[in-house]
This record gives sequence, structure tokens and C-alpha cells, in this order.
Amino acid sequence: MPKFVLDGKEIEFEQGQTIIQAAKKSGITIPHFCWHESLSISGNCRVCLVEIEKMPKLAIACSTLAAEGMVVYSESDKALSARNAVMEFELINHPLDCPICDEAGECKLQDYAYSHGSGESRFNEEKIHKDKRVPLGPLVMFDGDRCISCSRCIRFCDEIAKDPQLTFIKRGDRITIVTYPGKELDNPYSMNVTDICPVGALTSRDFRFKARVWELSSTKSICNGCSRGCNINLEVRNNQVLRLTPRQNEDVNSFWMCDHGRVNTYKFINAEDRVDSPYLRRGGTLTRSGWDEAFAAASSELKSYSKNEIAFIGSSFATCEDNFLLSKFATQIIGTKHMDFMPHFDSGFGDNFLRKGDTAPNSLGAKTVGIFPGKGGLDLEGIIKSVKDGQIKAVFLMEDNLIALRPELKEIFSKLDLFIVHSSNFNETTEIADIVFPASTYAEKHGTIVNFEGRVQRLRPAVATFDVDRALEGMSLSRWDKFGTKFDSWAEGNKRDARSSWRILAGLSGAMGHKYRYGTAEEVFMDIAKSISAFNGLDYEVIGELGAKLKLDSVSKPAIA
Amino acid sequence: MNILQIIIFTVVKILIVVTVILLAVTYLVYFERKISAWAQNRIGPNRVGWHGALQSFADVLKLLLKEDIVPDAANKPIHTLAPIIALFVSFTTYAVIPFGPNINVFGFSVPLVVADVNIGILYILALTSLGVYAITLAGWSSGSKYSLLGGIRSSAQMISYEISMGFSIGGVLLLSESLRPVAIVQAQSGWMWNAILQPIGFITFLVSAFAETNRLPFDLPEAEPELVGGYHTEYSSMKFAGFFLAEYANMFIASALIVTLYLGGWQFPYLDHLGLSSGWFAVISVITFAVKIAALLFFFIWVRWSIPRFRYDQLMNLGWKVMFPLSLLNIIWVAVLIMVFKL
Amino acid sequence: MALKRRKKDLTFLEKIYIPEIAKGLALTFKNMLKPKFTMQYPEEKFIPPPSYRGRPVLVMENNGVERCVACGLCSRVCPPLAIEVQAAETEREKERYPIKFEINMLRCIFCGLCEEVCPEEAIVMSKDYELAFTNRGDALYGKDKLLTPVNQLQDRIDFLRNYK
Repeated sequence: MPKFVLDGKEIEFEQGQTIIQAAKKSGITIPHFCWHESLSISGNCRVCLVEIEKMPKLAIACSTLAAEGMVVYSESDKALSARNAVMEFELINHPLDCPICDEAGECKLQDYAYSHGSGESRFNEEKIHKDKRVPLGPLVMFDGDRCISCSRCIRFCDEIAKDPQLTFIKRGDRITIVTYPGKELDNPYSMNVTDICPVGALTSRDFRFKARVWELSSTKSICNGCSRGCNINLEVRNNQVLRLTPRQNEDVNSFWMCDHGRVNTYKFINAEDRVDSPYLRRGGTLTRSGWDEAFAAASSELKSYSKNEIAFIGSSFATCEDNFLLSKFATQIIGTKHMDFMPHFDSGFGDNFLRKGDTAPNSLGAKTVGIFPGKGGLDLEGIIKSVKDGQIKAVFLMEDNLIALRPELKEIFSKLDLFIVHSSNFNETTEIADIVFPASTYAEKHGTIVNFEGRVQRLRPAVATFDVDRALEGMSLSRWDKFGTKFDSWAEGNKRDARSSWRILAGLSGAMGHKYRYGTAEEVFMDIAKSISAFNGLDYEVIGELGAKLKLDSVSKPAIA
Repeated sequence: MNILQIIIFTVVKILIVVTVILLAVTYLVYFERKISAWAQNRIGPNRVGWHGALQSFADVLKLLLKEDIVPDAANKPIHTLAPIIALFVSFTTYAVIPFGPNINVFGFSVPLVVADVNIGILYILALTSLGVYAITLAGWSSGSKYSLLGGIRSSAQMISYEISMGFSIGGVLLLSESLRPVAIVQAQSGWMWNAILQPIGFITFLVSAFAETNRLPFDLPEAEPELVGGYHTEYSSMKFAGFFLAEYANMFIASALIVTLYLGGWQFPYLDHLGLSSGWFAVISVITFAVKIAALLFFFIWVRWSIPRFRYDQLMNLGWKVMFPLSLLNIIWVAVLIMVFKL
Repeated sequence: MALKRRKKDLTFLEKIYIPEIAKGLALTFKNMLKPKFTMQYPEEKFIPPPSYRGRPVLVMENNGVERCVACGLCSRVCPPLAIEVQAAETEREKERYPIKFEINMLRCIFCGLCEEVCPEEAIVMSKDYELAFTNRGDALYGKDKLLTPVNQLQDRIDFLRNYK
């Protein structure tokens, strides 16, 4: 492999790589604003100027191709003074409103101003004022003063979202960004521009002023908006999810995620209508009960039906661990063959970038770990029909709001003698349930989900519940989490009494006289890896942060698209 | 006077003496706080009553309302007994100290002393020795190391200083040729005060009195910074108040004793030469006695807020190597007075 | 152990100790007659100098609006984590303001770092030192208790401008 020298260090590169790319590969970051790994090279910010031997002038590292034998200095006096000068230019018109700006704390301009700025301005004239607080689209707010005209957002719309909506207008220091006439920034991926904006010019209207970024703890997780399984960070303060940001995974989502996933998949976690303890229906209304009481009630109710009168409905929203234990519970303890899950398919949702038509994150996983009808058992439609006929008298439903998706089922399922539901929130389904167990959401438990192409990826708890303790579980801690006490209004937030579905099932089977010896989700997964061939050889370590592929050829039925 | 009358007069005198001592003690505590405040440029208690005059009563009320805690490790009967001994000793000691001349009441000549005993001084020495028990037993029965250390220190201290105290009194007895306090007072008429005649004895007695009453600079049995309070660490509520009361009562009695032995007792020099009526004579005498005691008490308090505490070895050195020889020297000096100056 | 000798042996007068005691007694007696320093607290109150760091308060401009823009730096710098700020958007020119600003006076250590870090001169240490609570809830000072008109704080603000 060809090599060049950067700051006295030999660096390998591939033909066609630029200096900044090669440097990044070997772990050296050359300061940059406009350059982004996934976008085309624009070269307009000039902050990546480096000194190259035998070149008369400084060159920008983002567009200069690395060549064999090249000697590059990114920290030489010349390069540094050039960078300081560029920073001084960038800061001429940039307002000093970091206290107000949402980007503060994750702002490249702020960081470089610390490392390369002169500390004071020689510019005495009035700064140029541009439009502030311009809603570019339903989810993105633009502040013209703060913009440093790096054009990342414009290139993103053109190249990644493939929907040109933004452009520069005017010239020189009056240059600013607008949407094309009659258009707004409303493509399904628009909020990615807030991530790539190196300053606070583009901010999320959803997250605007909700928290300072340094107050958030960040947990590596997976979006549950569709079966793509975009890698995300769950950012939490005071035990509330405040925003989701995409996490780079070149095999799944690169740097991006869609607006639907970013805005619509976390609010139910913080919602007021969370199920906060087991509930039993007494005299027509759901009333709060203790865990042991609920387990005893569910167990004695389940025992009063013959196995063919009970059906189980798993969930494409629950983890593999949850579904695996549900299938085990249904076959080993109850002995029924009536088992299936509800597909969630929205043909209008999918596109040819990230979004998939299957809007549930774990359909493939649920199927793979055993949520399908046994030999001679009923599938979902069969179950519904038998409920209608009265042959099936009891249904056990895990983490799926069936009735919201198919309102006509309400009448049918109301006929059931026993309807046990695991649910994270009160919804249309819990309205007619007899026993409701509070299920942890995807942000509150360990687990694995399998995306549409058979990549198994890990969920990690970011929100503490009675079941998962922030410190004991090794969850990520912000400074606030670390030092908070129960007397502080900002530390534990609304900690709820919810459990992972597999743990609820383990508790229930204990009440039915059959003990599953799982202490953690990882132990359930070890059992899955042992007993299901597609998962052979996998464990939480192997899956790691970026996931691992399942051996899918061994699954008899292929997944739904 | 028949027996009944003697009993009635004695009871009345006891009541008067006990009341006066209790009142004196409460105000002694008050003035201790006031004087310490003044010495430190503060004001001192000034909220309860006129200029804080009722502060001590408030303190007593507070102590009464406090929980009486007896440690598990304590020997309970002795723990309870110790403050009672302390109080008993300090009050009974006063019985033999005269506080004025004879007065005429309903035609009877009544001596202003509860019990005019001819071995009064021996009685005082015996009772003050008994006082050691209160502190030692308190220290031992509490079952706490601080208390025990305090108790041990105090017994060593009191026994050591009792010797020089006893020898100092020896000089007084030689001069007055009597063990009767009343006779000792009478022997000091005019300016023939023992403090003037035998200054060394006066000083050794004074210093020993400080040590015997556990006052600074000799408050090693309590020594708050090192022993948390010494023998009364484990005492609370009224039992603690008992010790507290006994300590201040002891101070009062020590002052009364010093006045009796060295400062001419209740006598105002040459007052009998003025030819006053016996009533006025008695009143002025009693007031004289009170003023002398008050001055000494002020001195006690003043010293406490001026001089730091001795170290234990310094205390023992002072007691055995300085005070003891000095008190012996004093006896020789008195012998010289008697033999050479024919006093 | 080697004995350490005194540099100078004591004279006889010093050894008998009595003159020294007399000196000490004289000193305390002199002090008894001197004027007293005691301040009769609830009636007489200590008025602190501008350098005093009392309870931190938020500066309220004359138009009734706080200076604070809820940047959260005070909350970040606060060593005992006493300050909680929740920002929100307003129509005013400074688009950000604290919808909730709470100082837990049980946590506050009066270090003044919040005041030092504040970019808007919006939180300053007042002269208020009378802080007593009977329950934890009372110790949470919200905006209602924190907002103080700027003219009451002019002393401290001038001090900060001179010395910060």
C-alpha cells in the first residue's frame, strides 16, 4: 500500500483517497467544517489547510489527493497560523450567542474557537445580521446569523435525500441559505441536516431548547421505527428520552436516520399514559395490583382453560428474548399450538433509502425465535376467527396494540373470557384486557432485534425502571444521574414499575409451578443461541455495537419483505 | 433553750442556708457566663428575664425536660448514686461554716451557724474527701473510657491536693488553737487575718481549693477537649444537673471556707469598736461575709477565663513538688510566728 | 530520644509563674471593661459588604423580565449540583428563557461559581443570608423567590464589574 507522511507519521492510504480521508482512517482528525465523509467535497471552509512539502502554497486536506511520498504537516506553524486566520474569518460575523444556541457543547466552531481561535476579535464593525428563527421545514429551524456557509445541508439534500430543497442566495458576507421558492425542507430525512450542521444554524424544532447536550446521557440502541433497524443513540436526561441521534453503522444506516424514527419513536416512552404496575380488571374497571397478585390471578385463570382454548400472540415490536420466552411458555407450559404475531406493513412508508415497508423492528426475529403456529395450530387469522366462534376463550397478547391497527377486532376480542396483555402504555387494546402487565419499552431493557436483512442488533437500557437500575445495570450515566438522589427533582425522573416481557413471563411461569432459570436477558439469549440454529455461535459480545448477521438459510419460512 | 427550740432554730437555719446556697449557685452560673462573655468582649446571656437574669432557671428547666439516658454498660445503682453523693457532700459541708455573729431572736441568742461543732474542720476535711467518691464512682460506673479516665484523674488530683490543703489548714489551727470554725473566725478579729499572717499558707490553700473544686486551671477530670466531659460524659438530664449544681456549690463552699479560715470570716475589721446595736452589727457582718465570698467567687471565675489548663504531669508536679513543700514551710513559718512573735 | 534544650532558661520570676498569672488576669480584666462586639441579631442585622456571597438570585430587569437565557452554564459549573434550569422559547429578542429555574438551597455551597460563569450577569450572589427551612420542599427556590429587581443588586453588580 502506498504511504505518505503526516506530521512525521507514516500513513497508509488507498489510491484516490484525499489526505483528510487517509488521516481519518488512521485516527488523525484534521480540523474541518464543510467536509463530510459521506458528502461530496466542497472545499469552501478552508479550515483544513495543511502544509505540504514542495508545494508553494498551503492546500486544503479535504480535496488534495494523497500521493506516495508526500510529506504533510497539519500542525506546523504555517498551517496553524493559517487555521487561526481562517477561524478569525469564520468568527467575524458569527454571533456570540452560545448561551442561547442549542448547538453549544457539540459545536465544531466552538471547539475550534477554543483550540485555534485567538480569543478576541479585531473586528470592530457591526456584524452582518441575517434572518433568525426561520422555520425551513416542519422540523428544522434556521438561524442565518450563525451559518458559516459550509453547504453541508445543501449537499445532503442533493446527494443523500435526493430531494434538492435548499440553496444559497446572495454573495459574499450576505450569503444565506433558503429553500427553493414554494418548497420547504420537508423530505423524510430532513433532520439529518441538524446533525451535520457544524454550527447552530440548523437546529431540531423537536429538541429545540429542551436540554443542553452535556446534560444528556447517551446509550447505543436501535431505532424501532421500522425493520431497517437504524443504529441510534438514545439521549436521556432525568430518565426521559429527549432526542434520538443516528449512530454510524455503514452496514445499516451510515450516518443517517429518518425523521419518523427520530421524532415519533420515543415519545411514548415518556408519556403520561404508561402502565405503571400490573392491573387487574375488577368489576369492569382496571385496578392497580401487586406483581404477585397479578401473577397468581393470571396463573389461576390460565389454568382454568384447556390448552386448545388458549392462543398466544407474540410481537414484532418485542425483542427476540421476549418472543422466545413467549413461545417457550406457550408450548412448554400451556401446550398450545395457536401462536402467531401481527405483521405491521405500511406500503406507503418504505422508500429506496432507509425506510422499510415493514414498520415493526423485529418481525424477522419474532418469527425466527419461534412465534409461528405449531403443527395444526392456528395462525393469526385463524385465531381471530376462532375467537369469533368462541372456540378460543383466552388470548395472551404481548406488546402489540392490535386494536389500534385493526379496530374491527375490538368487538371480537371483547368476547374473550380472558385477555392478558403486556403493554407499555394504556391504549385501545388494554381497554378490553382483563389483566395488564406493564412491559418495558425498547429503551428500558437489554435485548436483541433482527432487522429485515437478518442483522441481529442489541438494545440497551437508557431509561431506568424498577427493574433496571441505572448504576447497577451499568447504564450510561450523566453527571446528573451520577450524583442525584431521590430528593432531587432532576435525577430519577419518573421511574416506572415496568419489566421486560421475558421477565414477566418468567415470573408468571414461576407462579404456574415451572421455573425458568434466567437472571438476565443475556442468559435468555444464550439459550436462544443454543436452541435456534440461526443464532448459533452468537452472544452479546459478538453482536457488539454494530450487530451480526444471522445464518438465515436455516430458517424454514423467509421473512416478510 | 430546750431541745425543741434548738431543733426548730436549726431547721430554720438549714432551710435558709440551703435556699441561699441554691440561689447563689444559680446566679453563680449566670455570672460565670456573664463574666466569661465580658472577658471575651461579648454580652452574654441577655434574653431570659432582665439582662438574662432568669437564664439559669431556664437552663434548669431545660435539663429537667431532657431525656435521662443511662448507658447499657453502666452500673445503674452506682450511676444513680454518684450525683447524689456529690450533692450531699457539697451541701452538708456548709453546716459548720459560721456566716455571722450570734443574734437575738425572741430573746434567744442564736449563733449564725447551722452546727457549731468543736471538730468542724475535721468534719470539713472528712466530707471533702468523701466528695472524691462521687466523681470516681461516676467515672467508673458509666462504663465509658472517657468517664473512667476522668474519674481516675480526679481521684489522683483530689488526693494529691488534699495533702497540701490539710497542711495549710494546720497553720491556721496552730494559730487559732481550735478546730471550731467559730473560734477560728474569732481568732482573726481586727486585721489578724490568716491571709496576712501566713500568706504562703493562704496561697497553697487557695490553689488547693481550685484543684479540689475541679476549676480551671485544674479541671482535668472534665477536660472537654480531651475527655468529652470526663466523669460526667455519660450523664444527662437531672443527674447531670446534679453534678453541675454540686460543682458550683463546691465553689461556693470553698469560697466560704477560705473566707472563714483566712479572710476573717464574717468579721468587718474593728466593727465592734463602733458601738453599733447588735442587730446592725449582725446585718453588717452577714453582708461582709457575703461580699467576701462574692469577691472570691469572682476571682474563681476570673481565673477560669484567663489561665489555660495544666497538663496532667504538671498538675502532679505542682501538687507534690511545690504545694506540699510550701505548705510544710508555712507550718514552720507559723511555728516561728508563735515561738518568736508570741502570737 | 535526645532532649531538646530550651534556648533560654526561664528566670526565677518566670519560674514561680505568679507574675505571669497576674499579667494574664490583668489582661482579661481590662477586656471586661472594653466595649462589646456582640450584634443583637434579630433586632440588629449584619449588612454585608458587596463582596459578600449570600443566596444566589436572578437579576430581574426593570421591565420585569429576567436576564437569564437558560444557557445552563451555572447548572453545569455548580459543584454540588444545586441548580436546575429548564429552557423554553419566547417571542422576545433573546429567544431563550428559563421556564424553570430552581436552586436547591440545601445543596448550594455559596461558592459563587454560577455568578462567575454567567455570561449574562444574570445570576448574582445577594446579601441574603437568612436561610432556614423546616422541610426539603421549602429549600427549593424557584423563579418566584429568585427573581430580584436589578436596583437591589446594583452593589454586587458594580463590585463584579470592578473585580471579576
